[in-house]
Amino acid sequence: MTPLQQGPILLPERIANLIGLGDGLLGQVVGGLIAAFLIANIMLAMTAVAGPWAKRKITAAFTDRIAVNRIGPFGLFIIIADAVRLLSKELIVPEGVDRPAWDLAPIILPASALLGFAVIPMGSGIQLADPETGLVFAFAVASIASLSLVMGGYASNNKYSLMGGLRAVAQNIAYEIPLIVTAASVVIFTGTLQMSEIVAVQREALISITPALTIPQWFAFVNPFAFVLFLVANMAEVGRNPFDIPEAPTEIVAGYQTEYSSVYFVLFYLGEFLHIFLGGALIATLFLGGPAAPIAALEVIPGFVWFLIKIWAVFLLTQWARSAIPRVRIDQLLDIGWKGMLVLSFANLVLTAIIVGVIV
Amino acid sequence: MSLERPKDRDSAGVQRHSADEIADLLGDLVIGREEHINAPGYVIPPDAVQETLSLLKNEAGFDHLSCVTAEERADRYESIYHLKKFDDATQEVSVVVPTAKDNPVSQSAEPVFRTADWHEREAYDLVGIDYEGHPDLRRILLPDTWQGHPLSMDYDQERPQVVSLREGANPLQEDHRDDQDSETMYLNIGPHHPATHGVLHLKATLDGEQVADVDPDIGYLHRCEEQMCQNGTYRYQIMPYPDRWDYISAGLLNEWAYARAAEDLADIEVPEYAQVIRTMGAELCRIAAHMLAVATFALDVYGDFTAIFMYGIREREKVQNILEDLTGQRLMFNYFRLGGVVWDLPEPRDEFFDKTRDFLEELPEALEEFHDLITGNEILQARTIGTGVLPPEVAKSYGATGPVLRGSGVDYDLRRDDPYGYYENLDWDVCVEDGCDNFSRLLVRMNEVEESAKIIEQCVDILEDWPEDERNIQANVPRTLRPDDDTEIYRAVEGAKGELGIYIRADGTEKPARFKIRSPCFSNLQTLPEMSNGEYVPDMVASLGSLDIVLGEVDR
Repeated sequence: MTPLQQGPILLPERIANLIGLGDGLLGQVVGGLIAAFLIANIMLAMTAVAGPWAKRKITAAFTDRIAVNRIGPFGLFIIIADAVRLLSKELIVPEGVDRPAWDLAPIILPASALLGFAVIPMGSGIQLADPETGLVFAFAVASIASLSLVMGGYASNNKYSLMGGLRAVAQNIAYEIPLIVTAASVVIFTGTLQMSEIVAVQREALISITPALTIPQWFAFVNPFAFVLFLVANMAEVGRNPFDIPEAPTEIVAGYQTEYSSVYFVLFYLGEFLHIFLGGALIATLFLGGPAAPIAALEVIPGFVWFLIKIWAVFLLTQWARSAIPRVRIDQLLDIGWKGMLVLSFANLVLTAIIVGVIV
Repeated sequence: MSLERPKDRDSAGVQRHSADEIADLLGDLVIGREEHINAPGYVIPPDAVQETLSLLKNEAGFDHLSCVTAEERADRYESIYHLKKFDDATQEVSVVVPTAKDNPVSQSAEPVFRTADWHEREAYDLVGIDYEGHPDLRRILLPDTWQGHPLSMDYDQERPQVVSLREGANPLQEDHRDDQDSETMYLNIGPHHPATHGVLHLKATLDGEQVADVDPDIGYLHRCEEQMCQNGTYRYQIMPYPDRWDYISAGLLNEWAYARAAEDLADIEVPEYAQVIRTMGAELCRIAAHMLAVATFALDVYGDFTAIFMYGIREREKVQNILEDLTGQRLMFNYFRLGGVVWDLPEPRDEFFDKTRDFLEELPEALEEFHDLITGNEILQARTIGTGVLPPEVAKSYGATGPVLRGSGVDYDLRRDDPYGYYENLDWDVCVEDGCDNFSRLLVRMNEVEESAKIIEQCVDILEDWPEDERNIQANVPRTLRPDDDTEIYRAVEGAKGELGIYIRADGTEKPARFKIRSPCFSNLQTLPEMSNGEYVPDMVASLGSLDIVLGEVDR
């Protein structure tokens, strides 16, 4: 990356330059579309690896099993087999579903997550847009997911779905506030909502031993407390154990997705994984220095690889939690959210504000 | 040593009533006496059931209505209430209530023992006795549309009972959405639901996320096991069936229930060597069953096929391998015979002993891992401690037994309290927890695995040192058994889920005239509404998991 005065060159601009369309409107539109197509496909490809294959392999490792190993190397071709299987299934539309809402819900969920990736700096110059309010935009679009869950739950004409949808809303409200308040404490440090700036601030040295062995000023190191808070709130936000109560297979069958089959089910599934990755991307950007290498000596590895490593680490964490941690009850979840997380996150915010005000 | 306790208690506390003392207590209520092999029987008129049972419960301390057997005799219907004491299981009384052929109406025992609710419904369903004053006398195992009572004498087995969906009331059909004024929501949980462990249908009324009422609807797995046993000969044909009641690898424990009842009925002495093998096999089964119970309970609380489920299955697999070596089967063992077991330990014996010892050696480590993952986990504790509370008095009244009862702090284990097999000579403890909640029941099961391991270890030592020329695996039992006419027996053993009892009435032929199974799961499941009303749906699911029911045994 070669940062200019106005900030880094974004991916659409590069593409426009590459195909010789220049800075004009046409260049912006075409470049933007191609860039968006590329980023969306990277994310979808990752989800395809994560969903049918990595998830199985990881869970199997935790539970003493082998998992897929018959089709292709390491069972990787199961991805294709699963895709064929899922897409060739019959789409069952139950009687009495609320049609437009029922059809829209599975589309909104992955769409909201994909939108969020637009402002994430992924390193190696891969960033679709860098508005000044990037962080706000990411949270705003990610929150649309709740709408999809409640739509699906309500429109399905099924009591289990309804309960799942209601649980999802209650949970998301309880955890989105701590999530955003914790993110705000990072903003106090950086003084900007722009994603590229947040990353840039973290590149400064926290402890410098030698030029090659410099520990950067990642906010996970600066404020580990906020980092943990954000991790936990994010777990609830993406609905993974111990907070997977909107689905809660042993209680309410599959929650809001009970009535969905075939392609709609795939879309829901896809959306969930995209949300986990988006959560990982936000954690990486806010707390782990975005696409930066942990020490200067490792900068030979491209930033995009570091970025992927970081969001996969978060994905791994969710899978670990899934295999090992029991699910809390809905009332306990709300207790933790409103009485614990909210208070802690505000305490963190106030403390950060004081420290930044006094020291900086 | 805990095994000494019943004897102490007998001399110290629990009063033992002679048959005549009880007759005096009941006074004019008794209109006749019978002698069952296990207990004295008192015949009472059908309108004095409540009075008699209250007297026996309150004055004589018979606080455990173990089973209600209903049968049709040549000239009358009969309900038999098998009573025991939780403090001393060897004290038993049978209350026989004959009712007229043309008007089989008998007073309900439900106000005295709540467990009578389901037992009498079953009696009504299968035999056709009406219980007056029963709060909810409807069919329990068979569908509502069933014609006739299949265990009554005039029932035509050949008549087809085809009821189309339109004729029968479909429990799932009723539409509750238009009920605008209602504050509650009706929800069908099951028969196909991830948490019902089989085909159980819970009719739940929810108030938001909380359970206002739940009514278990059973019978989906009813396979006429009692009738099938009545059509088999004592010697060989009945033994395979018990494996199919509680099919969660508790097979040998179930077989023992039948073996014990039939051996006492026909007066067969089992060689000591066979008793040791039986004890070892039964405890192996108990470990396998408890492992699965713990694993599926974790599954219900964790919500996914998680590590703990697979770890539980892994340990169970090792037990199953040992059982396979011993019996030749992994699930439907059919290993017991009246008077012993079918064959001796597998050759080479050393290999079998080594394998078993290896398993026992690794077990503490595996259990430690379980404790780390389950009982030590704060979230699991928050989920299970104080939920699904079953107070001891309620548990007793419902006839709950096994880990469910012991999790409510009642010290009752038939292996010690009504000794059979080789348990008396071994050193082990009964596990009791007095938390009365889901967590206690979980702890009881995990601790019982350790105790079972202790028993197995001692059995292996004993078997290894057993002189080669004294390895007598079966008593000399005639090829055809014909117990005396009109002898009756009710005998129970400690199955994986609790007190598994068998009632047999012999009529002088080689087949039982009445074969009644007292299933622990059936009684335990009755406590579910008591445990979950007012709690959250997830807690109800956890409570159901902690009851550890097997529908094959509930429905039989």
